[in-house]
Amino acid sequence: MGALDLYLKQVAAFVEERRRDGRQVRAFQCDGDPQQLRQGLPVRVGPGANAGLILRADTFAELGSPDAGSSAFPLWTRDASLLTDGRITLIGPGIRESEGASLPFGQVLMIGGTELGDEEHEALEQNQYVADQIEGYMIRSTPGRMWSRVGRDAARRGFDFDVLGQALMILFKSAIPQIEAMEVLFLTSGKEDLQQLNGIAEQVRTIGTLIARNAWLARGYDILECSLGVDCRSCSDKPTCDDIRDVVKIRKKKLRKKADA
Amino acid sequence: MSTDNHPELVRYRSEREWFKLLHSQVKDSDVPEHQLAERTLTFCLDMYNRIIACVEEGDPFVATYYCSAPELCTAMDLPWYMVMQTPFLASSVPYLLDDIDSAEAMGLGSDLCTAIRLSIYYIEANLSPIPSCIVGLLYPCDGAPMLHQVIQHNSKWRDIPMFNADPPYWDDDRSLDYFAAELRKMAQFLEQHTGRKLDMDKLKEAIEESNKQFALWQEYNELRRAVPSPHGWDLGGSQCFSVTQCYRAGQKGGTDWFRKLIEIAEHKVANKIGAVEKERIRLFWFDLLPFGWIFDLLPWLEQEWGAVMVMDMFGNYPYTLIDTSSEEQMWRDLAKRNLFDAPMIRQARGVADNFVNDIARIVKDYKIDVVIWPGHMGHKDGSATIGIMRETCRKLKVPFMSLGLDLFDRRYATPDQLKEKMSEFFRAMGLG
Repeated sequence: MGALDLYLKQVAAFVEERRRDGRQVRAFQCDGDPQQLRQGLPVRVGPGANAGLILRADTFAELGSPDAGSSAFPLWTRDASLLTDGRITLIGPGIRESEGASLPFGQVLMIGGTELGDEEHEALEQNQYVADQIEGYMIRSTPGRMWSRVGRDAARRGFDFDVLGQALMILFKSAIPQIEAMEVLFLTSGKEDLQQLNGIAEQVRTIGTLIARNAWLARGYDILECSLGVDCRSCSDKPTCDDIRDVVKIRKKKLRKKADA
Repeated sequence: MSTDNHPELVRYRSEREWFKLLHSQVKDSDVPEHQLAERTLTFCLDMYNRIIACVEEGDPFVATYYCSAPELCTAMDLPWYMVMQTPFLASSVPYLLDDIDSAEAMGLGSDLCTAIRLSIYYIEANLSPIPSCIVGLLYPCDGAPMLHQVIQHNSKWRDIPMFNADPPYWDDDRSLDYFAAELRKMAQFLEQHTGRKLDMDKLKEAIEESNKQFALWQEYNELRRAVPSPHGWDLGGSQCFSVTQCYRAGQKGGTDWFRKLIEIAEHKVANKIGAVEKERIRLFWFDLLPFGWIFDLLPWLEQEWGAVMVMDMFGNYPYTLIDTSSEEQMWRDLAKRNLFDAPMIRQARGVADNFVNDIARIVKDYKIDVVIWPGHMGHKDGSATIGIMRETCRKLKVPFMSLGLDLFDRRYATPDQLKEKMSEFFRAMGLG
């Protein structure tokens, strides 16, 4: 069982719970093949597809603003059979029925592939932020948040979460060939649901940081802690550290004397 | 009251004169960017005037740092200045190199960060306004506490109460709660030593105003993603930072300043007007700008190479909306903004993860052609992550260049040496 498999089950349970609670839950099934996915899409997908910025005046709807809240994370597993390739689930209202709205936004990308490993984790994290690769869709450049804008023109042409989901599948499958299956969950139903999803996100993030650390360790770097001086006896900075310790000792002694006097 | 009675104001008054001179050069300009600069300089002069008046009248004021929740001082109507002000805000003053030499003549090692060295010199030479109390900064670098130690031993400063918020290492909830409690202690400290009271309604008001400023700053940053970028090194991050942290934190004037900034940038983006006539290289300068000799390098980069600084470390201040619905949440979000989001503190205080993620995000979002780590001689902590930054850039397939310079002293690596180095690098990488 992979480190994140448990959370795939938690996400599935989360969706079922929302369904039971009477939220509007819609599912779309599309072909998992990137070439097939491109057919019939109302917007272009790929590097440079979104040529310009989406300015405030050109915005049809905003997703995940700091006011509305956002939560986004990827989940990956080596057991692709845990996923239904090409499935997109939406909890809450869609984009085209939300003109002028600022919706809360949750996005979970569930990815499977027998060859996936720690090394791909960082790429999955970073690829969530699609920069200029989806026409009519702009993720704002602020870390730790999935805050995006959908342009008026794109919405008019039919851009909605099914399109966004397909675009993400195209981009991920093209960038990371080890991906065999991919599912996407979007959530716009409200802050309370988002909070619940964030509970899962936080645990995933903690594990994700450790996975990224392992990948960096394999390349010879520790991104979390300085581990250069694991063994003081072999560290070239030892004399400096010894000097500092001596100075601290002298200083403490002086302070003690002062206090006693 | 004359300067003779307050020798510690000599430099402060000279700086004010310098800024007055700069102000006079832009005050009647029709150029929108100059008009904005005029506002920035007016804010700056207001700060100088307020501090000088406090010294002369004996009113309370604080010496503090950037990213120490300046909204608190706004809410308490408490004038403040940044202890390391000269190297950052007034580094264009013509006597900066003489002051660096004087600092060395005092025996301060030339391997110590020049910003800290200069600030120590200004304390020891009695050239900094002596405040009612001090808020120090134990992060992001280990060098800053040396300045605090000098303050504690200087005969004129040693009796001034000092508070240093203790920064946790990790970026988790426990750290956030801990730092929020530190900020509360800081507020109590300010009340105790200035006689001003913190009215929570006023704090809420200041924070709501600063929320607007940060939202507008974020909006402005989106505009810098445009190709060509509407502005380069001469307008952007540094000014946004000083307005939100030093001049108009949580004040309406600052919000209006941001609105004007966006208006100018939106016009340029809509008309595809860039910072230079032909933008050929989009730079991410991952540190402070070389404030001490900025005019010797950055205009040359634009003119010679069409190289536009699209983003820099201090322009990238992630937007955290501070939730003012409850007092507890307000302190917590304030802690997040000042500990996790604040530039340089964000990268150099704790884990190296932010170096990786910030580079990855900015390179993609801003269509960056080259990442430059200037390698300021004082930023040894950051330089320890050069390998990680290089590796990140390699994966992103974007050239990475580490320079090695002193942001304040042009003699450490001269502008000519740097121009040669950068030109060689750009040529080798096929840029421009």
